[in-house]
Amino acid sequence: MTDSAPASYEDAVERLEEIIDRLDSGQAGLRETLDLCKEGRTLVDYCAGELDAVGEGLKELNLDDLAAKLDSSATPGA
Amino acid sequence: MDSSQISLGVGARPGPDLPGPFAVGRYAKVLQEEMRKRARVLLIGEVTGMGRSRKQAYFELRDGEGAVPCVIWLNDLERAGLPEGALRDGVEVVIAGGPDYYPGGGAASPSFSFRATHVRLAGEGDLMARLEALRTQLRGEGLFELQKQLARPALPKTIGVVTAEGGAARRDLLAGLARRGWGGTVVWAFAPVQDRHAAPAIARALQDLAARPEIEAIVVTRGGGSLADLWAFCDETLCRTVAMLRVPVVSAVGHERDSTLIDDVAAIFCSTPTHAAEAVVPLDCGAARRDLGRMALTLRRGADGAIGARARHLGALARGPARALQRQRTFLNQKTREIRAASERGIAERAASQRRIAGLVLERARRRALGQVERAGEEGRRHGVALDMASERAVAQRREALRQAAVALRAHDPERTLERGYALAETEDGEPLTGAAAVAAAGRFSLRFSDGRVDARTAADPGPGTGGDRRD
Repeated sequence: MTDSAPASYEDAVERLEEIIDRLDSGQAGLRETLDLCKEGRTLVDYCAGELDAVGEGLKELNLDDLAAKLDSSATPGA
Repeated sequence: MDSSQISLGVGARPGPDLPGPFAVGRYAKVLQEEMRKRARVLLIGEVTGMGRSRKQAYFELRDGEGAVPCVIWLNDLERAGLPEGALRDGVEVVIAGGPDYYPGGGAASPSFSFRATHVRLAGEGDLMARLEALRTQLRGEGLFELQKQLARPALPKTIGVVTAEGGAARRDLLAGLARRGWGGTVVWAFAPVQDRHAAPAIARALQDLAARPEIEAIVVTRGGGSLADLWAFCDETLCRTVAMLRVPVVSAVGHERDSTLIDDVAAIFCSTPTHAAEAVVPLDCGAARRDLGRMALTLRRGADGAIGARARHLGALARGPARALQRQRTFLNQKTREIRAASERGIAERAASQRRIAGLVLERARRRALGQVERAGEEGRRHGVALDMASERAVAQRREALRQAAVALRAHDPERTLERGYALAETEDGEPLTGAAAVAAAGRFSLRFSDGRVDARTAADPGPGTGGDRRD
């Protein structure tokens, strides 16, 4: 189990599938099962956050809009 | 130019090693002649800066690497049989001709041009030949692989799109993204997608998008068309730009796969903008949400199940010793019953066996005893006669001894003495008083005769009731 956040959504899902396969195998001991479930819940939370980030409706910007928006947010007091 | 072809009018030399100086008009004339001697060739390129004068048409023929100014006499152009207006900016043409030089005149400026004598619109074959040559070159440089080595996120939050502002591709792409259930941010970088300005504008848009760190993938798209229409996407400079970008590019140009050079250098190519939406957001977000819910449920059941199953197992283990004891107790009881039954059978069998053995032994003993008895009887009978005779002799002997003893005893019996007239002094208790002192000490005594007893007392005895001396 790693305490660091997954590198990407697909990494998180891949690890989740490994965890579920291991749990389904029935070979994990109690301690390992609890650790895997804890890690899995963290990954699910991460994935849910990623999906939420693209779940609020499509937004459209022109490149100039994006640059202006980011530049203004980067300028203190703007 | 060979300096020997020009005769010099003056002898002054500007430098120690160069021929001349030549009169420039003459030089220009010779230059024109030299140009016209050059081999005639076919050129292919895009027409730009199309214009006409009274006698000829002029334009530049250009591609990504350079351009050549061209002129064609109008009568040659008419012979080409092109449709009206076909020779215009942006079209790809093949021209035949060779270099020419116009030395100028009194008022006209000199100029170099490629004098075209024939012209036709570039066909698919011409373009494909150019495309294949470019493709071979770029592949040889390894530029097809660079984009394909980039990691493509399954779930980008921000994507860039290069397309024509009013094109149908924009609408199709948005519809495709919506079907993915994707609601991230699209950053548009609009650019012309057909003409000689398209390729540089697209390349610039791509670079601008890739410069934004939040953009995780870029789509380049336009609708269908002929290869000539799509020719901007075969531009060598544009394709080199795409190959070197740090952001993966999804190309969806035209409606045929692998038709333009940008398809080769892009990370992934698609036939339509709709497919490009699926490629740039590989994850079906709706399905992913459902899958994630299932996985979360599996995890929760996994944790609960693991604990519950183990709790049940532990409970079973906790009850195990009692069950084991009960099993052992039952087992022992069973064995006890079996042993008891077996021992009872054994005892009975042994008792029966012992009875049989004892019977046999007793029978043998009885028979042996009977034999011995018989033998003893026989022997007894044999000795009986001798015994009887010996016994009779012993009895007679003992009877005689007894008689003699009786005689001897009688001789010593005091009664016999009394019978001879003696008396025996005794105490009142019958104890014999064997001396005078004893009689004197007793005071009162009895004399026993053979025919009876007489009480007596010594003279010193006072008698009854006096307590004083009394003489007989």
